[in-house]
Amino acid sequence: MAMKDSTMPNFLNIKNFDKSFDDLSSLSQLREEAFLNLKDIGIPSKKFERWKYNDLKNDIRNIEFSLCKTSIKIKKNKLDKFEINEIDYFKKNKNHYLQPLKYLKDEGVVNLNLSYSNLFKVLTIKKDLKKPIIVDIKSEGHGMSFPRILINIYNNVNAEIQFLNRGGLGFINQITEINIGKNSSVKISRLNESSSIHSETFFSNLGRNSEINLKNLSIPKNKSRFQVFNSFIDEYSSAQFKSVSIPYENSKDDFLVHNNHLSSNCKSDVGMRSILGKETESSFQALIDVENKIKNSRADQDCRAILLDEKASMNAKPEMKIYNNDVICKHGTTIGSLNQDHIFYLNSRGLNKFEAEKILLQGIISEYISEDSPLINFLPEKYK
Amino acid sequence: MKNFLKIKNLSISVDDKCIIKDLNLNINKGEVHALMGPNGCGKSTLSNVLAGKEGYDITNGKISFSGENLLKFSPNERANKGIFLAFQYPVEIPGVTNINFIKTALESNRQYNGLDPLKPGDFLKLIKEKAELLGISDEYLKRQLNVGFSGGEKKRNEALQLMMLEPSLAILDETDSGLDVDAFKIVADAVNSTRGKKNSMLIITHYQRLLERIQPDIVHVFINGSIIESGGPELAEEIDKNGYERFNNA
Ligand SMILES: Nc1ncnc2c1ncn2[C@@H]1O[C@H](COP(=O)(O)OP(=O)(O)OP(=O)(O)O)[C@@H](O)[C@H]1O
Ligand SMILES: [Mg+2]
Repeated sequence: MAMKDSTMPNFLNIKNFDKSFDDLSSLSQLREEAFLNLKDIGIPSKKFERWKYNDLKNDIRNIEFSLCKTSIKIKKNKLDKFEINEIDYFKKNKNHYLQPLKYLKDEGVVNLNLSYSNLFKVLTIKKDLKKPIIVDIKSEGHGMSFPRILINIYNNVNAEIQFLNRGGLGFINQITEINIGKNSSVKISRLNESSSIHSETFFSNLGRNSEINLKNLSIPKNKSRFQVFNSFIDEYSSAQFKSVSIPYENSKDDFLVHNNHLSSNCKSDVGMRSILGKETESSFQALIDVENKIKNSRADQDCRAILLDEKASMNAKPEMKIYNNDVICKHGTTIGSLNQDHIFYLNSRGLNKFEAEKILLQGIISEYISEDSPLINFLPEKYK
Repeated sequence: MKNFLKIKNLSISVDDKCIIKDLNLNINKGEVHALMGPNGCGKSTLSNVLAGKEGYDITNGKISFSGENLLKFSPNERANKGIFLAFQYPVEIPGVTNINFIKTALESNRQYNGLDPLKPGDFLKLIKEKAELLGISDEYLKRQLNVGFSGGEKKRNEALQLMMLEPSLAILDETDSGLDVDAFKIVADAVNSTRGKKNSMLIITHYQRLLERIQPDIVHVFINGSIIESGGPELAEEIDKNGYERFNNA
């Protein structure tokens, strides 16, 4: 097959990778399949619609092609019982290995992960959790890593999960999948403080009357991409995505959220709050799909970006593919600086420019990250 | 102090349109002045300029406050030096809790003036006391700043901030407008209770009834950007009865 992508030769050493995983041989056929897709598609660059604001291919060009050290620690409450598996889970459930391709076949980073996944955690949650599970993913040093986390939530279960993504100096390409059973709900708090080039593709598959509520605090120190694909497999399910993004100077934070209304009577609600300082960049693509036969959908999108510096930029692109009339949609995008009348009001009470900005930005952040959120402790000092 | 606030030959334009024309006004410490004038004559413009809002061209004149050139100070410095403007149209600020905001304002103010912050307990006691005086319930303290407040509730909240910050010069821009009969009495009496030898007030109003509760030392009639007549409380009574006709023709 002709090589379409100049970055690809780097990735051809798949055999080398496999050596560190003797026990992966039973999956090598599936990995090859993903690898063939990858060869065909290539590493994402701006020429792909989903990656129009992001050139990953260029960003990772100089990253060493070796594995960096990554750990996934699961912290749990003693009383909470659930299964934790690793690669053996996929050996027993081979058909789950390529499940992400069922929802997204033509995505370079997904096929890349499936080709090289080097770190697996599979959580099977059968009962309500008393306390949140903490999934702490830490990377160190240069090089690459391809972690994969799969969470299966049974029917009638309420769970709360915190994800922490941190560290590294190379490239982390992660897949996270959550399958949510009937009448179940999952509350997720995600922190992204990665200092690596970070790409995470997140899938949720929602069963009947299930719910996912994802709060994200993204404070990347490098280039970061978070793409979320929610599939409403059955009716009366709902997905909420609320994200606060505050990239560090010289960092970039990209988001894509795709809500695929495959069933009737489902709700999606997507919101973004970006606070962009000096030399920062962000993008937000919000996609909604509602097929012809689907009834009574509700799909909201809302994006607000505050540019604190002339050298900050935001691209926001809401996109709706709606093939019927039975959808209620609310959407709005505002990009601009802080409201000068608000600043004057606060100044007129004695708050200086810094204090006024701080209290206004805290106000914006608090729309999504409330005082009782575990994410509040991770906010940059000046917004605490 | 004589000439606590001294405005001399002040002219202000917005977008090349002259709004304040050669205005002169002196307020001594401890005095209450009332400013009355028809819609659009420039009352709020003057208040905004005193508070330091941007976007106004000061084409001529001087303003001194407590012996210093007021115009060189930023809005927050002016506030911390003791100027308080109760806005005609207070803005709504989502996400900012009313009580947190007032606490931050009070702390900035105390810090600027070399005072330690109040202990949390003392602050809470103080704000509850003032809020009760104004008929503001705890729920309003916890709400987002002015968000969804009715017109009258916003005005009460301005009065609450005034009472918490204890300014040496309070400018009330139609604080009485929008208040119902009972609220009007409560707010007017509460504001009147802050009156003292060490602070002054500039009360902008359309209604003489406010001046019955907060009796001014001097009433100014403000037409087309200048004060054209000053006098005692009887001037307010006259305006209440006959409107501005006599002054318009003057
Ligand atoms: N930013 C501005 N741009 C253009 N015109 C302005 C601006 N601010 C004030 N004006 C004009 O200046 C004049 C004075 O306005 P101002 O708000 O000071 O009046 P006012 O005396 O407070 O009236 P009211 O009694 O209705 O509150 C009005 O004609 C107003 O339209
Ligand atoms: Mg006015």
